Amino acid sequence: MSQRWSNLLVWAGTIAFVVLVSKTAWAGHSIDGTSLTNLVVLSLPLAGIIAMAASGLVVVYTTTGIFNFAQGAIGMFMAYVDWELTVHHGLPQLLVLPLVVVVVAPLLGIALDRAIMRHLQGKALVVQLSVTVGLMFAFIGLANMLWNQNNAHSMPALFAGHGFHIGQVLLTWHRFITIVVAVALAIGLRILLFRTRIGIAMRAVVDNRDLAALGGARSSVLSSFAWALGCSLAALAGILLAPETADMSTTTLTFLIITAFAAAVVGRLRSLPLTYIGALILALATQWSGSFLRFSERWTNVPDALPTIMLFVVLLLLPRAEIQFARIGQIRRVERVSSVRDTAIGMLALLIFIVVLSTFFLSNTDTTNLSRFALGMCTALVALSLVPLTGWAGQVSLAPLAFAGIGAVAYARLGGAHGSIWAVFLAALVTVPVGALFAFPAMRLQGLYLALATLAFAAMVEEIFYSQPFAIGAGERAVEPVHLLGIDFTSKRAFLILVTVVFGLCGIGIVALRRSAFGRRLVALRDSEAASVTVGVNVLETKLAVFALSAGIAGFAGAFFAMNARTLNGPTGFEMIAGLPIVLALVIGGVGFVAGALFAGIFGLFLILVQSDWHISLWIGLTYLAPGLAVLGIIQSPSGAVVPIGEGFARLLPWRHDARREYEEMTAAAAEPEVGVLGLERPFEESDVLLVDRELGISNDVPRAVAAARSG
Amino acid sequence: MGLLEIEEVSVQFGGLLAVDDASLSVPAGRVTGLIGPNGAGKTTLFNVITGLQAPSGGRVMLDGEEVTRRRPYRRARLGIARTFQRLEAFGSLTARENVLVALEMRRRWATTRYDCGKIADELLERVGIARVADTRVEALPTGSARLVELARALATEPKVLLLDEPSSGLDEQETDALGVLLHELTTGGLAVLLVEHDMPLVMEACSYISVLDFGRVIARGTPREIQADPSVQRAYLGTTKAAS
Repeated sequence: MSQRWSNLLVWAGTIAFVVLVSKTAWAGHSIDGTSLTNLVVLSLPLAGIIAMAASGLVVVYTTTGIFNFAQGAIGMFMAYVDWELTVHHGLPQLLVLPLVVVVVAPLLGIALDRAIMRHLQGKALVVQLSVTVGLMFAFIGLANMLWNQNNAHSMPALFAGHGFHIGQVLLTWHRFITIVVAVALAIGLRILLFRTRIGIAMRAVVDNRDLAALGGARSSVLSSFAWALGCSLAALAGILLAPETADMSTTTLTFLIITAFAAAVVGRLRSLPLTYIGALILALATQWSGSFLRFSERWTNVPDALPTIMLFVVLLLLPRAEIQFARIGQIRRVERVSSVRDTAIGMLALLIFIVVLSTFFLSNTDTTNLSRFALGMCTALVALSLVPLTGWAGQVSLAPLAFAGIGAVAYARLGGAHGSIWAVFLAALVTVPVGALFAFPAMRLQGLYLALATLAFAAMVEEIFYSQPFAIGAGERAVEPVHLLGIDFTSKRAFLILVTVVFGLCGIGIVALRRSAFGRRLVALRDSEAASVTVGVNVLETKLAVFALSAGIAGFAGAFFAMNARTLNGPTGFEMIAGLPIVLALVIGGVGFVAGALFAGIFGLFLILVQSDWHISLWIGLTYLAPGLAVLGIIQSPSGAVVPIGEGFARLLPWRHDARREYEEMTAAAAEPEVGVLGLERPFEESDVLLVDRELGISNDVPRAVAAARSG
Repeated sequence: MGLLEIEEVSVQFGGLLAVDDASLSVPAGRVTGLIGPNGAGKTTLFNVITGLQAPSGGRVMLDGEEVTRRRPYRRARLGIARTFQRLEAFGSLTARENVLVALEMRRRWATTRYDCGKIADELLERVGIARVADTRVEALPTGSARLVELARALATEPKVLLLDEPSSGLDEQETDALGVLLHELTTGGLAVLLVEHDMPLVMEACSYISVLDFGRVIARGTPREIQADPSVQRAYLGTTKAAS
């Protein structure tokens, strides 16, 4: 489909949606000068806050190439630091606000850059995203630990909420200051980026990092500066937003960021003026729906979904990405493709382990633990859906749990209420076309934008889908486990074993798929789209297939989620935020591996156990903090934890001579410096010349002779 | 008339005319050379032929049929294959798997059935990298990775093969072998368009050469004619007009 037609379609769809929603939800207020003035006056402060958060995103992204999911969480955390100092310790805001924004936040930014972000340069997108998502969880967890969320926190507005009237509406000094600060920032950032040395260098880095480095721009200083500035902007947005929320909920403050994402994408993550315009449009739309529309019943959550709907629409309107050439210098580690036989043996071992565990160590009368293990296995199955999609084809999806949710509902609606085996497959079948639809935006959107589109999709499913009467509606839906071969799996132990068998079979199937023509084609597409098309690969067809496959597996997994839960209740268990740790855990485990998916399941189980059994607030914080801390593992081993674990294990097996030899070769190779960065990061020496010569296949004798002649 | 005809193709990037009204004919059974200084527009022209870059004007004809608006994968299926100057091998796959991907695609539209594994091994043998068949390509030296790309391109059984500096990264022996291979391929009826900086190879292998400079074809002829052409010498040696 050509750009023009697809844009037309998106615009038409958007306008139809807006008109339809406005018509059905119209609250009956008249539109006149007063109400419109109110709308604008109420929108501007919100727009200012969104713009600040979004500008921080843009500054960091353009300078360092990293999209910071944690931007909102950092703002939230800084707002709590501010609360601690002003409300708890009684220091004046006039002193604390500059301290937090100009000192604490930038220091945090520099620390983040030095400790974490710098190590992410050149890593796969899904790794970069996972790290900042993990960081987001870490900040939420840390805040929950330090500031007990059972106690209400509230931050007074600046000047105690006094203000002045414009027409009938009160504009508080707090909001007035918010607007002024936003405008001042716009001017300040413009001057910074266009008139100062460091700003110009930052813009140069956007265009070509290596070239800028050769031109003398010190990218390490620039990235620290960008992170410092980004965190400052986050802090400012967080502190100004906090008094506007009822109770300073950590998640509410954090998820302002979704709105900021939408604004930043309007500016294509580059343009600050467009980002400001995006923020204004978003704020106006939010206020419009708040002032003029009333949503009820199945549409109750539409206002909450507005930012994600807008994010989705803006993404669809982006211009089509060019065909991607391979990124030079992106060396990945050895990625062993397991054999089907080895996988089958592994899965059998897993099954025996689960059978023994559930028979001898988990009581069948207290079904809680059995149920948790089953949930862990379902999680592994959902994670498995990303292995072909994200691990092989390199298409980052943050919505696997949303597809599982759709599958769960489909199971409940299509025979799962009485445990029909067909319903399991229908659940997969229903999600397949939904997933396949994603291939179309995936043709136009590359990398990060696609990931954001899936995130928006997950949020929209959460807010809008489950409340529809045809899905779950306001009540609950009861579900029975399947009846198969005369067994009903109502016993939790039998069900756990069933899910383990299902995971094992799917895992073996996935490994077989990786070794098939289709699997190779997916990896080829990820490695070089340009080369793939020139050998005749139809990209759309391939993406359709892999998105459909992934959604199908997730939907299938969803049916088992439903069976394990027994009742479906709104989006419970399938929320967008619950899906992110699965992606994160899969990346930690190894996104291209079936074992990585199993790792994600075990990780999920661990979090469930921590959350429910250790009734200490510290550990409850850990449910967020653990994924965050695990991020450090990703930096250590970007291919995933299962790679070193698997290699280490294989070396211990007496018959695996190949594994031991490979290890020796890898160790030897790791001792050699990388040629690609020589001269940029340290001086070029004689030994490097030899290295380059070997890399280029030039005979070793020539430079040696030269060296000999020189020394002689 | 050539099997592949490029007719008055232009490519504009913003204000820069990367290819300016270039015409080229690539006949079957011969190696046609395309030379020119860096930045002359050779790779851009390759991208136009394979469909990775839309031209701002002109036509690309394959076997008498216009393919200018065809998608890249369609052109591949019609018989255009290429290698890349900046490596575009499938780095995380082995050399053998690289070739298999192309063979397995080819099998979907080929009329005859064949054993992909066997042909993959034959192709790797033919370009001379059978010994690294099971090594992941990103671990291979540049020269070998180029040969993987060549084997992969041949796997699509092309009518026209575009080679973008295939000899860079190869040692002398490998370059000689490449020359022999090119000769074999054209004897079988393949049309080859060769972009190359290794002049001995170009002069040896090509029967006809076009010279591109600043996006324009400034000379065409046999190797002997090209070597004698003053405008070519100017383009390469950078003699200014005032001096000449």
